Amino acid sequence: MTVPSSRRITLRRKVSLLAAMTFVGLLALQNYGCSGPGPDAIAPDDTFHPDLNEPKLKERLGEDDGYALAVMYGADIHGSLETCG
Amino acid sequence: MGGLARRVGYIKSFKLRSNQEVPALFVDAGNLFTDDRAMGSRLPDEDLAKNRWVTKSYGKFNHDAANVTYNDFLYLSDLLKKDGYQERLQEYPFIAKIVSANVHPTDKNLQPLQPYVIREVSLKRGKPGATIKIGIAGFTEAKPQSPTDKPTAFEVEDPFAAAKRVIPELKKKVDYVIALAYMAQPDAQRLATEVSGIDTIIAAHQVSAQDEPQKFNQTTVTTCFYQTKQLGELRYYIRSDGVIENQKNRYIALDDAIPDDPNAAEYVADAHTDFTNEINKAQQIQQADVANADTAILSGKSLYIGQDSCAGCHQKEAQIWQKSGHAHAMETLQKRNQHLDADCVKCHVVGFQKGGFQALYSTPQFANVQCEACHGPGRVHAENPQKGYGFVQTPQGCVVCHTQNNSPDFNFATYWPKIKH
Repeated sequence: MTVPSSRRITLRRKVSLLAAMTFVGLLALQNYGCSGPGPDAIAPDDTFHPDLNEPKLKERLGEDDGYALAVMYGADIHGSLETCG
Repeated sequence: MGGLARRVGYIKSFKLRSNQEVPALFVDAGNLFTDDRAMGSRLPDEDLAKNRWVTKSYGKFNHDAANVTYNDFLYLSDLLKKDGYQERLQEYPFIAKIVSANVHPTDKNLQPLQPYVIREVSLKRGKPGATIKIGIAGFTEAKPQSPTDKPTAFEVEDPFAAAKRVIPELKKKVDYVIALAYMAQPDAQRLATEVSGIDTIIAAHQVSAQDEPQKFNQTTVTTCFYQTKQLGELRYYIRSDGVIENQKNRYIALDDAIPDDPNAAEYVADAHTDFTNEINKAQQIQQADVANADTAILSGKSLYIGQDSCAGCHQKEAQIWQKSGHAHAMETLQKRNQHLDADCVKCHVVGFQKGGFQALYSTPQFANVQCEACHGPGRVHAENPQKGYGFVQTPQGCVVCHTQNNSPDFNFATYWPKIKH
């Protein structure tokens, strides 16, 4: 069975358009940052079982008073994953 | 205090405590990479090892964004090389989250930095099921000029002009805008007052402010702790219509109350081994080539003379010193395997990078916090022992090293009796 030439051209155009859109999309992602619901920063896993009732840790965590989102922040690690003391 | 393992441990604990109902982002306001041992425009292997592990671990633990500042330029010029960029990005995906709106490569062989990243998070509280888009942009001050400055592969645009250009564009795309600002507090405040559209400015500048965040117009300005020894935490309270109605700021001391995350601890240990191997290699090369050492020190012409010389006349003081923690300061670092790390060594020896201590193999006579660490170089005094040498202003002289970060329990009234002489 042969595909009529007009349909072949339409199909080729669709493929070209899809390729162009994918390219532009990737370019935009690269240049303007990653968007979308990516993995949450530092997800809990099976290797970590803190005692959340330990008084000092509990004090550090503070009260859970209904906050819905948190942004943790820091700076100046200057190449060191650990500090001097 | 501080460190990756505790930081990750805290964030995981935070999430577990809220039954994983609260999304938490982590952002870094700048000064991510070391350039301490840079030789001209080249980073030595030990610095490269440290920086590689930072890039790797920030990716592994899904940190959300990091700002660029001038200390990062040397390593960035490696990371952003167009040649091999895609492969590098695959190996170190965090590269895509390093942002700056006002640092631009001048070398056309470097990939441009993105001005911001956008994170979309799904809410489980406030308005469950809704998503909120957070834009995170980076700004930095230029390096204060010095006559020894070498040209870099980047130019730093005026951060205020860059913010006026980028923030309106970002504001259209997101619900909430965070600006990471590596600059002094007055400049961060100026950014808040001159540029509209920023919801929160997270500022950093090698300081340890514990002040409450300040509000300028609609913008909150908060400040990071040096080396992230205390983690900043912004908590957001969201109404049922999805609007942020309130926020609270906290600082969490990352001390031994916080459990280490075992995975992150493994990364820290591997990074440490890698760094130590590299620096050992570098020191072996130096040992083989004595000509590389500072000839003034090796020939005994340093302005420092060392503890043994001081003890010749000041025996009573020397005996008191021997029993103090200062006399064992290097041992403390060796136990933690940090005796090769310049960031730590400088406060555990005499005259580091000032013609005194270089390394344990070449200048062991200057290890530990000896007399001259506080009283200053003693050669002139030893050769002509007259009055007028060695006055130490306290506690100002002490807090050069006993900073809030390094020595949070420091109290002159209780510490001084331990070394009184």
